[in-house]
Amino acid sequence: MTATNEVQSAPIIEVRNAAKRFAVNGQSLTVFDGISCSIPQGAFLSIVGPSGCGKSTLLKLISGLEAPSGGEILFNGKKVTGPADGMIYVFQQYTKSIFPWRTVIQNIEFGLNSHKKGLSRTEREDLCRHYVKLVGLEGYENYFPYQLSGGMQQRVVIARALICEPSVLLMDEPFSAVDALTRAILQELILNIWRTIPVTILFVTHDVEEAVFLSSRIISLTKSPAKIHEDVAIDLAYPRDQITTRAEPRFHALRQRLFASIFLQEKGVAP
Amino acid sequence: MKKRWPGFLLILILLLLWEFASANKMIDPITFPRVSVIFSSWMKAVVGSGELTRQLMPSMGRIFMGFGLAALIAVPLGLLMGTIPMVYRLLEPITEFIRPIPSSAYIPVAILFLGIGNEMKIFVIFLACMFPILLNTYGGVRAVDPVLIDTGRTFGLSRVKVLWQIILPAALPNILTGMRISLGIALIVAVVAEMITGNSGIGYFILDMQRIFRVPEMFAGIFTLGLLGFLINFIFLRVEGYFLRWRGTSVET
Repeated sequence: MTATNEVQSAPIIEVRNAAKRFAVNGQSLTVFDGISCSIPQGAFLSIVGPSGCGKSTLLKLISGLEAPSGGEILFNGKKVTGPADGMIYVFQQYTKSIFPWRTVIQNIEFGLNSHKKGLSRTEREDLCRHYVKLVGLEGYENYFPYQLSGGMQQRVVIARALICEPSVLLMDEPFSAVDALTRAILQELILNIWRTIPVTILFVTHDVEEAVFLSSRIISLTKSPAKIHEDVAIDLAYPRDQITTRAEPRFHALRQRLFASIFLQEKGVAP
Repeated sequence: MKKRWPGFLLILILLLLWEFASANKMIDPITFPRVSVIFSSWMKAVVGSGELTRQLMPSMGRIFMGFGLAALIAVPLGLLMGTIPMVYRLLEPITEFIRPIPSSAYIPVAILFLGIGNEMKIFVIFLACMFPILLNTYGGVRAVDPVLIDTGRTFGLSRVKVLWQIILPAALPNILTGMRISLGIALIVAVVAEMITGNSGIGYFILDMQRIFRVPEMFAGIFTLGLLGFLINFIFLRVEGYFLRWRGTSVET
């Protein structure tokens, strides 16, 4: 294994036989039934799969924002029954998740809301400024979201999540709505953050290339009702960067293999 | 203000036309006295004798009391209706039933149990102001994007904190719209109530002047109402602009 943050001890998250069913027009629709996996502490794990396979639903169950229809989720060995302290969900629709009435620094400060209550005013300010710097938004502290580009808004949302020092960050296609160049920059940013602070990241994406570039491990799901199709360790060395990592033959081999498996499923051909 | 000068110019031209038509008896100068005569009696009534200013104060007092009470009750009630389905189901039918009744229709009833004094007028203004604020508040709350609320949940916010820190600011544009509509209605209802009963207020003043045939003073009262409505709206838009500066709809300077 290459130098990652992974700790080979007890898993931080365990998904046991999770099932999710929705009622659609009076009929029960099974998104998945019986998904199990365990996620080691410090992993950067991506979940990929054909569109509509339930990747985001699985992430929502893990976060506790939605309850499973069957099975259970364990976080640090404890059953998840609601939004758990220590896990932060980063929404795909960052424009809807950012608070438009708060400035950049006020949005980030929101992350301190229910955590670190004992901090003084100046300690809070220093902490906020630290995270403003971490995501590269110096000089924009007092801007309102409407004055920022999409990429900058996403940085605010990431900083707001990081400031409460979560042990798990659940990211639902966080970069799918920004342009390609911004996406590349944000990918490097999140990688650097993951390598400098002890956080486990669960990352849902439909972009296989993005998953290979970022992850230490990828789980690919089958079409609905979803099952775990593949569980692949990504043995590319860290630190990774957009230029050299993407040029490696191993990168292409992994990308090609995962892409083929998902693409064939999407087309309806058995892998 | 710069771009609004053509509108003010039009008002000026119309007033001059009025002045000219009245002076040359093209319109009945008794029913429509010259603007200059109206203006001088306005000056006298406002600055000189102060009889108009004296009548303005009780009206403003009633408007702000009634409006303030309505806002104080309708906003929390709207928040509850918007967030708790049970409260919504309980209060929505009665709201929809009372709302279409013109508030001036309550005046006779209000006189029966509150008399013809100040309390009755404040009550009627309060009732008229309630519904626009209530409807806009719960409408705004129900329109809050679920992603915003889930964001609060993932950060571990309690229900009360979600209400206070997320739902209230997100619904604020609607709440303020409801308040602005209510302020306009408050002015109408106050004047109607003062005309029906009472011995003070701008509505009473206008009707009284008409009855004793002091037509210029009557017009002075009406113009004062126009000015007052304009001023209230102008101030409220400023307040709204401040609270909603994050929407970025204000003109950049």
